[in-house]
Amino acid sequence: MIDILVTPFDRPYMTRALVEALLLGALCGAVGVYVLLRRLAFLTDAVTHTVFPGVVVGFLVSGRSGIVPGALVCAVAAAALFTAIAATRRVNEDATLAVLLTAFFAVGVILISRQHSYTADLTAFLFGHVLTIDTTDIVVTAAVTVLAGLVLLGLGKELLLRAFDPEWARATGYRITALDLVSNMLIALVVVASVQAVGTVLVIAMLVVPAAAARLLSERLGVIVAVAVLVGMVGAWLGLATSYEASVGHDLRLAAGATIVLVLVAFYALVTLGQATRRLVRR
Amino acid sequence: MSRPAAIVFDQASIAYGRVPALEQVHGTVRRGEIVALVGPNGAGKSTLIKALLGLVPVASGSITVLGQAPAQARRLVAYVPQADTLDPDFPISVAQVVLMGRYRRIGWLRPPGRADRDAAAEALAAVGLAHRAADRFGTLSGGQRQRVLLARAIAAQPEALLLDEPFNGVDAVSQEALLDTIKTLAAGGAAVVVSTHDLGLAQLTCDGICLLNRHQFGFGPPADVLTPDLLRAAYGGAALELGDRGLIVARS
Repeated sequence: MIDILVTPFDRPYMTRALVEALLLGALCGAVGVYVLLRRLAFLTDAVTHTVFPGVVVGFLVSGRSGIVPGALVCAVAAAALFTAIAATRRVNEDATLAVLLTAFFAVGVILISRQHSYTADLTAFLFGHVLTIDTTDIVVTAAVTVLAGLVLLGLGKELLLRAFDPEWARATGYRITALDLVSNMLIALVVVASVQAVGTVLVIAMLVVPAAAARLLSERLGVIVAVAVLVGMVGAWLGLATSYEASVGHDLRLAAGATIVLVLVAFYALVTLGQATRRLVRR
Repeated sequence: MSRPAAIVFDQASIAYGRVPALEQVHGTVRRGEIVALVGPNGAGKSTLIKALLGLVPVASGSITVLGQAPAQARRLVAYVPQADTLDPDFPISVAQVVLMGRYRRIGWLRPPGRADRDAAAEALAAVGLAHRAADRFGTLSGGQRQRVLLARAIAAQPEALLLDEPFNGVDAVSQEALLDTIKTLAAGGAAVVVSTHDLGLAQLTCDGICLLNRHQFGFGPPADVLTPDLLRAAYGGAALELGDRGLIVARS
């Protein structure tokens, strides 16, 4: 059993995949708690779809090395745009986000559909390819992880206040729009860091699922963050190992990114089930 | 000798865009005074509090808070919102909520220090909830949550305190605790403005009354403002005549 969890990672490409997945698990776990507190899952989804045409354009312009810069430009623009939309408070935010995310996504699909390798490329951008991660990708993810750590530590109390009681934060003199810009940019950077490994669609699960499971397990914010980081990392490890064992050992091809997501969702389902059972027993 | 003025309304009118919300508010709240904002639903009580916080602009006339424009005085002013506007599922402890009152003093990028935790603990003790510090905010009763929000305001050591309907749906014990704390703060020299539906409570506990319904009907000592004529004028159809025995004001 232990073999299954350790042996696959002797191979260099699997070692790189593991390092990347562990970094993303920790990063998404921590940032995901804020996404959960602010109920920003839909905004995060909008960012992931808006990033998609950036990924495609980057790839068309300069191949694999263009993906992260392309995604970055789109993500930063999307974060700024969404912050501005929220700040005007005149437009229906939900509907506007839905219109923007589908529009951007359609642009991405049209761009990529003009390629010969349409299906293969589309799959890679949507669902990632963690097994072909290179050192540059790991450096990008590590840099975003360090930055996210600094932001969450440095502005933790202000972001907490903004999430809990925005009206009071404004009344005390905080600029809500500035704080929102910071958190939206952070979410956008997480999406960019995740593009290569898990793709633009699956990153939403990496953000939301560990945090949601952690929230079920604790009422204390500090504990929730710690548990979400741990769940994200362990889920990433187990998912990679499972996908490798199934593909190599049993000739059952399981996509690595999707397997990580399913492991996380399975954990969430177990926690929900456990709590429901406990409630029934208590009655 | 009268105490120094803390909040001065000078023919202040407030509008949302072109729609006037409240007109011609004129009067003074002195340090150490508790003034109640009284009027029917939609009278503009919450709007006036928002204007005192600099969250809605004054369209004409002026409002001066501690000698400054409202938005400039925010650091000296503490606000107590209605507790039921906050998410009861939010994973935050009572102590963490009260500590938020210290954030402006702590400043950016710094964690709260020992002095901040002590001030927060002291504020929580002042509202009688020191024993609930570790509990999640959402597990408290409505009245207790309101007291926690008052403690958060006190932790900021404000010179002016603004409360929006703090007694709505609050149990007797919590109401008593809220009143005691507010009186203590006023006795220490803070100016207090509190909006309320409860005319009896306003009459008994406040030094001044500002009677509103879209515009000001009276501003002064309770005996001068809470008269049948002024209440009838401000409440209109919500006032119930009891022949020559007097007048009852319905809540809405």
